[in-house]
Amino acid sequence: MKNLLVIAATLLLATISCPAQTITLNNDLIFGNVFPGIPKTITKYSVGSAAEFHVAGTSGSEISIQFALPTYMHGSGFNIEMIFFNTDCSIDTLASPSQTSPLFDNLNPWTTLVYRLGSAGLTLWLGGTAIPKAAQPPGSYTATIVLTVAYTGA
Amino acid sequence: MNKKGVERKFAAVVVAAIICFSLSVNRVQAQDVATGAATATVLAALSVIAAQNLIFGNIYQGVASTVANNINASSGIFNILGQGSAGISISFVLPQFIALADGSDRMTIGFSSTDATVDSNNTTPATVVAGDGWINTNPNNLPAATVIGAAGQTNVYLGGRVYPSVDQAAGAYSGDIILTVAYNGT
Repeated sequence: MKNLLVIAATLLLATISCPAQTITLNNDLIFGNVFPGIPKTITKYSVGSAAEFHVAGTSGSEISIQFALPTYMHGSGFNIEMIFFNTDCSIDTLASPSQTSPLFDNLNPWTTLVYRLGSAGLTLWLGGTAIPKAAQPPGSYTATIVLTVAYTGA
Repeated sequence: MNKKGVERKFAAVVVAAIICFSLSVNRVQAQDVATGAATATVLAALSVIAAQNLIFGNIYQGVASTVANNINASSGIFNILGQGSAGISISFVLPQFIALADGSDRMTIGFSSTDATVDSNNTTPATVVAGDGWINTNPNNLPAATVIGAAGQTNVYLGGRVYPSVDQAAGAYSGDIILTVAYNGT
């Protein structure tokens, strides 16, 4: 009976000591003005234009990171093709993350990434390329980028 | 404490633990999802219109005829429409001769290195001035710094010269003049 009490208490402590991880979107992936017929690339190093996400949680915990990436941006019934290369993502887990010189660079956003949260969490950047057609109708185009993170338990 | 008392106490602790566990489980997220966006604004599409042919009109056998690039009624006129102030690359493909429709005779046509004018202020061949763009420039090497005018239009005016032979067959001669325009991303 005493053992059961200990197990219950341990279970309680274990669940309480595991805070949730949270993602904050700091910046969208912003291509700005695009000329018809001229592909435009935003690199992951481009401050204010590359997508930036911050993940907070338990320092030292391992998390899995997965993007759901669009293949087109949509606007007014038309599409612009998008390309994400297998080096378009970077991550920094340092307390003062650097977008221009990240700790982990040239990561593949199409695969599940696994990293440990640093003392200040983890920051991700994502670049991409838009390929408008020569006769691309003018206007605003958007697409959704979904980022999912989860503790791995390690 | 008797056995029943101990069991009741144990049961109470277990229930409390389960309740706390349930509450704490609610505070733990298995995962988190964030949604960002990719955004872009596509600028005006580029188009070019041959607004007026290069018209030599009636010519005589053996007498060369010239049309300057500043004649409203006869200079070749091309209108380029697109995003105001955007940089463009433009180039002509100019014919070496014009021909009868049935191809039975040809007439030599030539373009000098001053036969084109680029007008980014959308004026006319007769009124364009140096401040509007490039006057009397080379149609075989149009300026690399050409931009669409701030109002969204740039015109190109073209002159040329034909050289009919003394035994040139009578009739209507024509040839294609092709102007290719593309954004250069600036």
